[in-house]
Order: sequence, then structure tokens, then C-alpha cells
Amino acid sequence: MWWWRGRVRRVTGAAQPTVRTGLAGVGIGWRPEIAGFVAELPGLRFVEVIAESIPPTGPLPPGLDTLRDDGVVVVPHGVRLSLGGAEPVEADRVARLVRAVERTGAPLVSEHVAFVRAGGLEAGHLLPLPRTRAAVAATVANVRRTQADLPVPIALEPIAALFDWPDDELDEAAFLTEILDQTGALLLLDLANVYANARNRGTDPVALLDRLPLDRIAYVHVAGGAEDGGFYHDTHTDPLPSAVLDLVGELCARRSRPPLLLERDGRYPPAADLRTELDALATAAGHPVIT
Amino acid sequence: MSGSGADDLAARQAALVAALVTGGPVPPGFRSAPWEAARAALLRKRAGEVARHWPLLAAGLGALWVPSFTDWAARRPTQGGLRDGWDFARHLRDRAQLPTLGADELAAREATGRYDGHTTPRPRRFPALGRAAGAVAVGFAGRVRLLRAAPRPPAP
Amino acid sequence: MTVLAAPGDTWGIPGPVFLGIYLSAVVVTIVCSVIHRHYLLDGHYGQLHQPLDAQQLAYLNGGEKLVVWTALTGLRASGTVDVTPDRRLRAVGDPPAGLTPVDRAVFHAAQRRRAPRLLGREVQVIDALEHLRTALQERGLILTQAQRHRLRLGAYLLMALALVGLVRLVAGLANDRPVGYLLLGIPVAVVAAVVLTRAPWQTRAAKATLRVQRQKHRHLSPGSTPSYTTYGSSSASMGVALYGTAALWAFDPAFAEQAEIQREGAASGATSSGGGGGDAGSGCGSGGGGGGGCGGGGGGCGG
Repeated sequence: MWWWRGRVRRVTGAAQPTVRTGLAGVGIGWRPEIAGFVAELPGLRFVEVIAESIPPTGPLPPGLDTLRDDGVVVVPHGVRLSLGGAEPVEADRVARLVRAVERTGAPLVSEHVAFVRAGGLEAGHLLPLPRTRAAVAATVANVRRTQADLPVPIALEPIAALFDWPDDELDEAAFLTEILDQTGALLLLDLANVYANARNRGTDPVALLDRLPLDRIAYVHVAGGAEDGGFYHDTHTDPLPSAVLDLVGELCARRSRPPLLLERDGRYPPAADLRTELDALATAAGHPVIT
Repeated sequence: MSGSGADDLAARQAALVAALVTGGPVPPGFRSAPWEAARAALLRKRAGEVARHWPLLAAGLGALWVPSFTDWAARRPTQGGLRDGWDFARHLRDRAQLPTLGADELAAREATGRYDGHTTPRPRRFPALGRAAGAVAVGFAGRVRLLRAAPRPPAP
Repeated sequence: MTVLAAPGDTWGIPGPVFLGIYLSAVVVTIVCSVIHRHYLLDGHYGQLHQPLDAQQLAYLNGGEKLVVWTALTGLRASGTVDVTPDRRLRAVGDPPAGLTPVDRAVFHAAQRRRAPRLLGREVQVIDALEHLRTALQERGLILTQAQRHRLRLGAYLLMALALVGLVRLVAGLANDRPVGYLLLGIPVAVVAAVVLTRAPWQTRAAKATLRVQRQKHRHLSPGSTPSYTTYGSSSASMGVALYGTAALWAFDPAFAEQAEIQREGAASGATSSGGGGGDAGSGCGSGGGGGGGCGGGGGGCGG
């Protein structure tokens, strides 16, 4: 399909290894539950918002429109496109993502290397892919379908997986790098996921960092988790563990000052605790403090 | 683009999701401890999602919310937080296990929405009464008023 | 063309003359009354952006009842009061500093183990509410009882006119005179009187203040399911003040139920339309649901 490859080349030609996305410093995941807190962060330069919560028409969630108008960069983060699914990504979901980009004026979007539905059933959560060549092909196909309609680059996030498939052919770094190379997409490196996977598998998270294409990082996620039943769960509802902050330090030793985003999805703590976490992130990475 | 590799992947993904959300046995080749941890985490997340749509029902059950919901939901694939909560509330109502706060919430929802258990709930156009475990609510044009709260146990 | 009084005219006034005077009187009364009411209901806009505290806003939004619930929410959020299973309040520890008179009154009621639904009968609470009301009246945000009576002046006049018209009607019927137009004019006066009897206690300045404050605190609207833990304990009382007791139910449903607080405010958002329903991902604040309407309406404030 020569015409397909040509389009991909045009889209991905703009994604240079050190890409300018307009993201800088420390950001936070925007949620309506803490919209008032986010609105008052004086140094905030970018936020991420769940793409599916941006309605195609009608008013934006209250508070988000003010941020956008104040010049804060808003990045739509898709969670339900299921790019890793063997089934082709649904056209109306891609259209909705494109609409979110238009409404927020975003310079890029992000999604996950995962699948959320199969065989007509919704899993309700991001599920890991088998690290096989077939899965690479399926994911690459879906990412390219999405890139064809997106006016901005896409960054892909590897997820935290509690279980692995039995017949993995590639390791995590090779799998991810293969997908990124074939699509030209950027990397949304989730350090909490790197930590969770390493801890649950008993491997070294820093070793994984050394094998990932760090020059393709668009931005970085950090989040809290908790131990339960012998496993570390990336819950996004707990405080940041110091081990994840250490990983931030390790990453910054290898790649200077990537944009960092704090993800929190529930059980929000008092504002002072959130500010402390944001300050800790800024200090760990050498970014200006945003609180 | 499609080949036996892609078909095989589709089939395997479908089998995995089906086993995960319907409480089926651990698929062959998967280690059971991580699998069970994933299934439990999925159900907990679902319980949290449903609690956002049905806060009074969750508050009414208190500490029993997560265990009782996850027990009920373990074999039922999700239809989204709103429908899951609605089905669960009706299930409790039919077994007279609905807490009073949940009864009020279910009555209010039944008064303003029509849900047949199989398709997406739709707002009602005409005034309607909703009943659940002694609670009675009347709904009209999207507004709802609780006419009678579910009977509370008398204060000691 | 002059119409001279003819023998047999009711009261000695010819029909068309009386009708002309009568209908003019009705119209003039209606117009003057509307203008008068418009002026009275304006209120003072001077403090549109001056901060009002949560309890004052609660009064504007939902009257005395909402003020009591707002105070109770504040005390609950700071951990000062609790409710026991027998549905009575209980004071936990010492009161914090900076309490308003209403807060103190509710706290003392809690020390005496009163039931929340009976707080409105506590003498100290009634006194504190009286002070609050007077302060708001002085600021031109709510009307005094005397002003509300003045609002009804036009209605009283119109009722009197309707009565006159009715008497004339009866007399005209007895005299066998045509009464057709009069029959049309009287209902107009009656309907206008009924409409103009409405005597709201909120001024337009109050409504504008509420609008401004709701915009400033829109992150507390129940549709955003605010995290009161993050915003701090005073945010819960502001949420209740601006958005009704639905905010308290969202903040602490067990407490709201034990305290038997009627849930008013945002519609429960029964069915999210369209895509909102099934679409939430992790932490997605899905669209739809949560009407975010205002608190229980004004009505008699017991003034």
C-alpha cells in the first residue's frame, strides 16, 4: 500500500528525535475533582486530560476552558482506543480524539500500548499485549490508522501489567522500540509503570531505562501505587513512593529535564500534600517549582 | 494486513478478556497468582467506577460495598458504571438487601430514566413514579423529588 | 360627543364613561405597580464583589434552613460535631476559633444533644439567624417585611378595583344594563392582582451576587464531584451554601442521612445522555450526570 506509507512518512517526518511539543516542566493530570486546585497552581504550564471526557460539542469541563485560555497546554490522553487490539481501531473513537485535539488546541496526544476490548466484551481496564511480532503488527497498524487522521503527533505509553502472556517473543524494551520505530510515534514514559513491572517481575527498573529510546520521550508520567496481596499495583490513588522519585533522578541523569506529569485519579489528598509531591518532582528533575 | 497471525491474536485476546471478566478459569500458560491479582484489581476498579455513578448506594453499604459488588460482578462483564450499578441495585432490591440510601437513589433513577436491563438507559419524557424497597420518587422533565424515603430502622 | 347621564344609568354614571375610567385605572395601576416593584426589588449592587461568607450566601440561596445546614456542615468538616445513631448531635472537643454566631448556636445545641431537624427551634439559633437577616437587609440584599408588604400595594389596589368592578357589574345586571366589557376587565384585574401578590424576599442584587459567587466557586459544583479533602474543610460549607444540601450528601452521605437532612439541589443526573455513560476510563470525569442546579428555592424565610 504505497499511498499508506507515503502518508505515514509525511506525518512522521515532523517527529524529530528531540521533538518540540511545547511541554515543559512539571504538570498535573487535570480532573474535575481537583479543578480548583489545578486552577491555582501559579507556575503550571501543561496538563493532561482524559480524552474521552472532552465532549465533541457543548462546553468544555468547567475550569479546563479557563486553563486553555490562559495558555496552559492541554494534552488529551486517550484510554479507550484499544490500539493494541487485533480489531481495527474504531473510526468514531479516532474522530472523537481528533475533535478533542481541535477543541483544546493540543500540540500532541497520547494513548497506550494495550487493548481494552476483544470479542465484543469490554475489559474495563488496560490489558497487556503478548510481546509477539503479530501484536507489533496489529499495534502498528492501529497507530498508523490513528496517525492518518491526527493533525498532531501521538505519544505511546507502555502500561503496568500484573501478568505476562506465556509466549512472549520480545522483551519489553525491544517490543516498545519496535512499535515506536515502525510508527515514528513518541514515547510517553510512565515511570510508575516501569517501577511496577520491575518490582512484580523481580527485574531492575534502571536496566529497562537504559534500553528504551529516551530521545523519543515526549513527556513522563509519575503516579503512586500500593502493595496488595504480594503485588505492587499502579493504583494512581496513593502517594508517590520514593522509589519512583529515585527513578526520576535516574532518568534525568540520562536525558536532561523531561517534562513530568503527576497522575492522580482518586482519593485525592489535601492540597498541601499534592503541592509537596509536585515540589518533590520539580526538585528531582531540576525543573522550576510550580506551586 | 490480516493473516493467520492477526486472526490468532484476535482469538487469543477475546479468550483472555472473556475469561477475565466472566470469572472463567485461568487460561492455559498463565500463572495463576498474577492472573487472580489482575482479576481482583479489575473488580475493585469497577467497584470504584460504579460508586461514582451510585454514591448513595455505595455509602449505604459502607464497608460491604466492595465485597458485595465484586461478588456479584465477578461473573458479569461490565456494561459501564451506570448500568452495572443499576443492575446491582435491582438485584439487591429483589433480594430485600437494598440499604435505605440505595433505595432512595434507585427510586430516583427509576423515576427519571427508563432501563430495561439490556440497552442503554434513556431519560423518561413523561412524569413517572419510581419505587424501590419502600422509597417512592416522582420524576418529571429531568427533575426528581423523593416523595417518601425508604423506611429507616427506628432510632434506638 | 358628550354623553349625558341618562335616567336609568347605574349610579348615575354612563356605561362607556365608567368603563373608560375603570380600564384606565386598572392599566395605570398595573404599570405603576410593576415599575414600583422593579425599583424595590433592585437592591444595592454596591457589594457585588465584596466577599460574603458562606452562611450569608446560604441565606440568599436557600433561606434560614440552608444557613443552619451550612453551619452544621462547617462544624462537621472541622470534626467539631458528630451525630449519634439516635439521630442527635454530639459535640466532639472544643470549638475552633473564628466561629460565627450561627456556628456557636449550633455548637451549643450539639453540646445539649439536640436533634438536627429541631435546630430551627433553638432560641440561640433563632437569634443568630435574626442578626444574619438584619445584616443582609441592611446591605440591601434581602427585603424587610415592611418592604415586602409595600411590594403588594399594587395587588391590593387592583383587588379593590376588581371589587368595585364587581359591584358595578351586579348593579348593572340588576338594572338590566349591558355589562359585557366590564366582564372582560374584571378578570384582568384579578389575574394581575394575583401575579403581583408575589413578594420575593431576594433582591436582584442577591441573585447577581449568587451568580458571581457560583462562577467563582464552580469547582465546588456537585457536577464536578469536588474532592473536599483537597479543597479543605471550609469548601464543604461553601459548597452547601451555593449548591444546596446535595453538596453535603456528596461530602458525607452517612452524616447527612443520620442528621435527616433533606437532599435538595442538583438533580441526581439519572441517565447520562449519549456517550457519557459507558465511557469513563481511569479517573475519567465523564460528561453528563449531575445537574448542578441551585439549592432549595427561596420561599418564606420566616421573616
